[in-house]
Amino acid sequence: MKKVLVVDDSLSVVRQLEKILNESGDFICVGHANNGAEAIKMNHSANPDIICMDMNMPGMDGLTALRSLVMLDKDVQVVMVTSLGGVGDKFTEAIKLGAKNVISKPFEAENVLRILRAL
Amino acid sequence: MAVKFFGQFLVEQDAVTGESLLHAIELQERTNLKLGEMAVAMGFITNQDIETAHSAQLSKDMKLGDLLLDLGFLSLNQLEEVIARQKATHLYIGEALVKVGALTADKLDYYLAQFKADQAPFVVERVELPEWLNENVATWEAVVDLTYKMITRVVGIQFRPGKFMEIAALSNNHMIAAMDLSGDLTARYMLSVSSNTQKAIARAILREENVEEESVEILEDTVMEFINIVCGNVVAKASQSGINLEINPPITIHPPVSGLPVPDGYRGVSFPIHVGNDEIMEMALFIK
Repeated sequence: MKKVLVVDDSLSVVRQLEKILNESGDFICVGHANNGAEAIKMNHSANPDIICMDMNMPGMDGLTALRSLVMLDKDVQVVMVTSLGGVGDKFTEAIKLGAKNVISKPFEAENVLRILRAL
Repeated sequence: MAVKFFGQFLVEQDAVTGESLLHAIELQERTNLKLGEMAVAMGFITNQDIETAHSAQLSKDMKLGDLLLDLGFLSLNQLEEVIARQKATHLYIGEALVKVGALTADKLDYYLAQFKADQAPFVVERVELPEWLNENVATWEAVVDLTYKMITRVVGIQFRPGKFMEIAALSNNHMIAAMDLSGDLTARYMLSVSSNTQKAIARAILREENVEEESVEILEDTVMEFINIVCGNVVAKASQSGINLEINPPITIHPPVSGLPVPDGYRGVSFPIHVGNDEIMEMALFIK
């Protein structure tokens, strides 16, 4: 079972993703971070296989955190989960910085799981 | 189930990799010349003329094409020729993906049809707006119409949109979630909801049948997440028309009984949304 870290300042998104992941049988949520800085710390302590991360968060935003995560851990697999996924520049920047995919909100459980299973 | 652009749709569908999409975008950037570059390539102006026009742009709020006309560097006929050449030679992302070998022409046709169907629910419909909101109409229509569409698609409740009202203050309600839009436009987007509507939103966002035991913090967070979804999709839609917007994380406001006054320098407009027989939620904008 793959370990997933969820990074989002919204408690309700964390709840949504936790539920989808833990009910899938293929993934387990090993924790959540409220912003990019916490994500970098928790990538070290929780050692997840995948990080699902929002872009728009107070404090360190998702794209800044993505840049650091990829620099610090070349094996990290980050999927951005964001309401800004449909913004061309944001999507392209995330992929350029090393995100494996970008999931737009609102998302469907099947779509999230299909994308994570493809990693 | 969100506003997307074609490249994103293809990566999400696993039809192309992120890497090949980046190659295609690089090819687009090399092929699709900007207006000034095209005018130089056509021999109408020099790079020095562009430099001069860019310097003039610091003091004049004009588009480059208008400025090149104003400075006498281009005639109107030449400007029209440049724009026509830009359109005729524009390389779309799908064509670029075929050129870099990431997609076949047949697959491109197939995925274009799939994409069109995927995005059909997000084609923005006409919305009645105040007369003073006569600039960037498409974006303001997207704000209102995508709110309606997301209420239907995400929350799944029946409602009836009411006629807009110019307001001096947004009426008090159980809670107001707000999000600031900045960039090419400056506005505060707000959704004011009753306790019942807040719970309906919470049930949908949390995917739970019963939210009676949920904390106030979680219930409020679900409304903030809902407006985050709306505004993120508005930003995506606006970007397709060349309007660049940024959003800040959402906040919750508990205004006094007298309501939330429109700040100086802003105008307020409210779009009542009738839910059931006697419930009203309001989508409101304070626009600079």
